[in-house]
Amino acid sequence: MSNSSSSSNELFGYVAEFSSATDLYHAAEKVRDAGFRRWDVHTPYPVHGMDHAMGLGKSWLSALVLCGGVTGSMTALALQFFTQVSLYPTVVQDKPTNLFTIPAFFPVTFELTILFSAFATLIGLFALIMLPRWNHPLFNSPLFSKFSNDGFLLVIEARDPKFKREKTKELLSEIGAGKIEEVTY
Amino acid sequence: MAGLKDGDDYRDGERFKIPALLQLLCLGVGGGGTLLFLILSFSMSEKTGAMGYSWLFAVIFFLSLAVGGLFWTMLHHATNSGWGTVVRRLMENLASLIPFMLILGLPLLISGFGFRDKLWEWFPKREVALHHAEEAAKKEAPEYITARKAEVAKAVAAVEAAKKELADVASPSPGHRVHLERKIEELQKKADKFAKEDLSEDGAIATLTDKHFQHDEALLFKKRGFLNESFWWIRQIFYFVVLAGIAFLLRGWSLKQDRDGDPKWFRWMRRWSCGLLLFFATAWTFLVFDWLMGLDYSWFSTMWGVYLFAGAALNSMGFLVILLTLLRRAGYLKNVVTMEHYHLMGKLMHAFVIFWAYIAFSQFFLIWYANITEETKFFLTRNTGFWNTYTIAFLVIGHFFVPFVALLLRAVKKIPHILSGIAAWNLLMHAFDLYWIIIPERGPSLTAHLGKEGIAMVIPGAWVFDLLAFVSVGGLFGFFLLRQLASASLFPCRDPRLDESLNVVN
Repeated sequence: MSNSSSSSNELFGYVAEFSSATDLYHAAEKVRDAGFRRWDVHTPYPVHGMDHAMGLGKSWLSALVLCGGVTGSMTALALQFFTQVSLYPTVVQDKPTNLFTIPAFFPVTFELTILFSAFATLIGLFALIMLPRWNHPLFNSPLFSKFSNDGFLLVIEARDPKFKREKTKELLSEIGAGKIEEVTY
Repeated sequence: MAGLKDGDDYRDGERFKIPALLQLLCLGVGGGGTLLFLILSFSMSEKTGAMGYSWLFAVIFFLSLAVGGLFWTMLHHATNSGWGTVVRRLMENLASLIPFMLILGLPLLISGFGFRDKLWEWFPKREVALHHAEEAAKKEAPEYITARKAEVAKAVAAVEAAKKELADVASPSPGHRVHLERKIEELQKKADKFAKEDLSEDGAIATLTDKHFQHDEALLFKKRGFLNESFWWIRQIFYFVVLAGIAFLLRGWSLKQDRDGDPKWFRWMRRWSCGLLLFFATAWTFLVFDWLMGLDYSWFSTMWGVYLFAGAALNSMGFLVILLTLLRRAGYLKNVVTMEHYHLMGKLMHAFVIFWAYIAFSQFFLIWYANITEETKFFLTRNTGFWNTYTIAFLVIGHFFVPFVALLLRAVKKIPHILSGIAAWNLLMHAFDLYWIIIPERGPSLTAHLGKEGIAMVIPGAWVFDLLAFVSVGGLFGFFLLRQLASASLFPCRDPRLDESLNVVN
């Protein structure tokens, strides 16, 4: 409480509460149209179509996963070809030791593709959402704790170039926010 | 322009009007082609065998699309999914073509058409082997009965002799008595066993027939419980009843719901689909065992059923995408189907491209690695010469890598024309896949009797019949499909899940 009311600390942004997912959805559309970049919504459950309302583009994660998968399959193929075909040709059950040994290498290739894709997904996701971190200024807000219970929240950060202390607050109440809270670092 | 507009009531559904010209074209091509095919097969008796393979290829291709439609309908109910309610009627319509396709397959099953014995060699082989065995048995029977009777008499005499031996010993020691009693017991057992054999004339002939049959065609003898004509017919009837029956039942309930809007039908469809999936899987698995794996009765693969199922499910989804795009182009379903549905169907296609490749590769891999003579036969034929190039080009690259990479992109799945293009490509590859299963069997099978010098891998010129059969069956398939589409609303208009499906987001 003391944090939000004290003016000595630097402002992180506004947390605004909306009464329902529908209200939040429409509010998000308006904030998107107002041209804000550094903002987010927080809801107790996933809201279908919210990414569209927020104007979010396609995530880069799938590209990272593709890179992970390709790296995995190439690693597996290279490992097997170098050891089993080039360096030390291993004849098993009269199978060839050339390009046509490839069916024998498929299970490992498949597994490494999956493994590296999974690694890329996990690490890529953490990198994109900037986790792990010790704390977040939003945790200073008592209103924010409602996001996991019954709160439909919209957060606009102060570092957004369009952010104006008074005007943004006005905008939030205009688009139907109930409670608006200032969050400081 | 037909179709729902904004403000129209969804509950009344949307009716399809058959384009008369298209219907006539389908009927003309299909009916005329079929007639021509049958006339040709009767008039050119030396080509009948080769034409049987063509007809099987065409029928199984379109049958697999219909069966895939049934699978998607049942899966939709069994998993209680809501997204696809708007396209479910198309699946049901596709599934309702199963009886027509099975009836088109009937000429293959009836030996009078001359296809059956050329396709499935076990029929004539078994007949010949049984005939020879019976002849030999009849000849040997009297001699055999005399010989066996002598054996029986000998065994009985041995028992008597042993009994006499026991009686003759004045006062045997306990050990000796036990020894003799045991001997009598053993001899008695042997005599009883001999006496059990049916030594009437018919009995002897049956025993000898089995013996000769086993000697001449050991494999067919081993498999006689499955590969015999009466059980074979029972199975064909089972396939028809199960596949056509389920399709009829589910579509019937769905249509009833269109009329009275009673959610009872929805619950029935959901409840019955789970149990009926078992019968569906059994019927399709054994149908492809009988029709396709049976092309070479000496070869077997336990993955055969799921391999053909994967192809059927994938391409039936692809066919639905194309059908949907064509219908939308003609002005139907415009307000009902969204790009979200396309996206979902594209994702299912992608999943089944991978599933098909997984199954196909596993089947090949296990056989290739184990390298057991009786299993490698199938792939030896298809990994040699022309068929090897064919396999790599169409199955490895065409059927898997191309659609796999293409469908990786999300945007592609949301553009109907591009997705339909990929689906059409997949259908082409599916045709190549079935061609690859059926046709390499044709040359060796039909020329096997010519011996080592005369055997041919391909029958020259036979591809013309393949094409003719494909176009004919395809024409009739299109004709029946148009009629089924027009016979009811294009989507289940009073399904409780309709609202969910209309607004689906993924």
